[in-house]
Amino acid sequence: MSPSPLKEALSAAPDAPVAAGARPEREYFCFRIGELSMGVPSENVREVIRPGPLTALPRAAPFLIGVTGHRGEVLPVIDLLRFLGKGESRVGPRSRLFVGLAENFSAALVTDAVAGLRKVARQDILPAPMGGDAGAEHVLGVVHRKGEPSLTLLNLAKLLGSARQRAVVR
Amino acid sequence: MTMPIESPNAPKRRPPPKNGKDFQMKVVIDALSAALQGDLSVRIRADGLPGEAGEVAALTNQVLEKLSRRLEDSEHRKQSIAQEIDHALDGLIALVRQGDLSRWNSTTEDPLLGPLLEGFGKVVETLRTFVREINEAALRLSSSANEVLAASTQHETSSTEQAAAIHETTATMEELKHASAQIAENAGAVARVAEETLGAARAGRGAIGEFIQAMQQIRSDGVAVADSIAKLSKRVERIGTVVEVIDEIADRSDLLALNAALEGSRAGEAGKGFSIVAAEMRRLAENVLDSTKEIKNLITEIREATAAAAGAADASKRATEGGEKLGAVAAQAVEGILAGVQETSDAARVINLATQQQRTATEQVVASMAEIEDVTRQTTQASKQATGAAAELTQLAGRLAELIKRFKAD
Repeated sequence: MSPSPLKEALSAAPDAPVAAGARPEREYFCFRIGELSMGVPSENVREVIRPGPLTALPRAAPFLIGVTGHRGEVLPVIDLLRFLGKGESRVGPRSRLFVGLAENFSAALVTDAVAGLRKVARQDILPAPMGGDAGAEHVLGVVHRKGEPSLTLLNLAKLLGSARQRAVVR
Repeated sequence: MTMPIESPNAPKRRPPPKNGKDFQMKVVIDALSAALQGDLSVRIRADGLPGEAGEVAALTNQVLEKLSRRLEDSEHRKQSIAQEIDHALDGLIALVRQGDLSRWNSTTEDPLLGPLLEGFGKVVETLRTFVREINEAALRLSSSANEVLAASTQHETSSTEQAAAIHETTATMEELKHASAQIAENAGAVARVAEETLGAARAGRGAIGEFIQAMQQIRSDGVAVADSIAKLSKRVERIGTVVEVIDEIADRSDLLALNAALEGSRAGEAGKGFSIVAAEMRRLAENVLDSTKEIKNLITEIREATAAAAGAADASKRATEGGEKLGAVAAQAVEGILAGVQETSDAARVINLATQQQRTATEQVVASMAEIEDVTRQTTQASKQATGAAAELTQLAGRLAELIKRFKAD
């Protein structure tokens, strides 16, 4: 009888103290939006939800595409592509919203697909290219992966802060 | 010598004898002797004689005178009779030499010759009548003979033409005999072919019946197939619904596993195992999603295939219905063909019999025509002979007419 995938994964997983000691790493919540693969620190993500009824806000910033209700809480919905100036995303039935946390402020962000949690070793993170676009200030770094598009790690707390600031300024 | 006799022209009286009686007698005796020798002109001179002697001389002279006169009359009559006989002889010569009966007109007042000439005249008259009648009859005979010749010639020509026509007819009848034999043969062949066709058409009828049954079977099978396809389609739809439910569940499971991983991550080191389980659950959910996607693709393919199958079944149904109709039409047509072929077969048989009879009859006719031809040949021969005879008859009639023409009646 072949072992279940779960048991295989468990047996393959390294012991926590050894891993932590050998390779300092951090867990990121990775997702795809448009052509981009991105990741945010997992401690900034509360949960992933399906997009519910979206209520558009008049005279709001373009990246703030509306608000949605979740468990009695009203969450602003942010389109990262618009925020970063990389186009715009569409909210469909297969889209996912993840609830991002920054200090005591939370917002829902649109993703096309969620890749999951992924541990990234610190030495694998390359610094963001200098002289990049406007969103470069929110980038923690870039991870190059074989056979896959490179993963852009975002500083979600900072991003949400500046978003809130831009929304308020407006 | 001097004689006392006188000639009539220069009557000389014999001088009376000088010596009496003797001399007187001598004169008379001389005169009578001369008369006896044919000279009746002598006379006795009686003036010188006396008595009785003178009387005798006178009487003798009277007798001589009378005899002379009688002789003259007789001569006269003899000449006139000779003339009449000459005339009659001329007529007879003309009759004999030239056949001329017209010149006979002799008459006489002679009581002795009259009956003879009258008898001749009657004979000639009778001959004239005969010649007239024969002439007339010869003319009639000639014209009749000509007519007979013409008729005979015409008959000969007709007979020859008839013989030619009969010969031609015989040849035609021969051809007809051959033709009717050919027809009989052909009719026999037609009858055989019709029989074969009848058999083939019966086989075709049976085959068409089987075909129609097969088509009905195919149609019912097609209906069953269409039902099965409809059921399959419903099942597939049901599977689709179930797959949607599974998809939904897997999606929710994926989401839950993701959130569970996040929870485990927030729990730090204590939630690590939990995070791993959650990740594994998420992978399973993703596998399920992949599978459901595959199933959905398969369902789409199955749906397309079933739609195509349904369309094909529908077309098959229509085709089988068309086939059944065609089979029914073909069956009807074959029934018609069967009836027609049956009639053809019967007709061919009848024709065969009729042509056989015709052939027999034609052969009889040919035999009869041969006999007729023979008879006609004989008739032609006889006709030729008749024509020859008629020609001869015509010639004879001409000859007779020519002969009769030599006798002139009028």
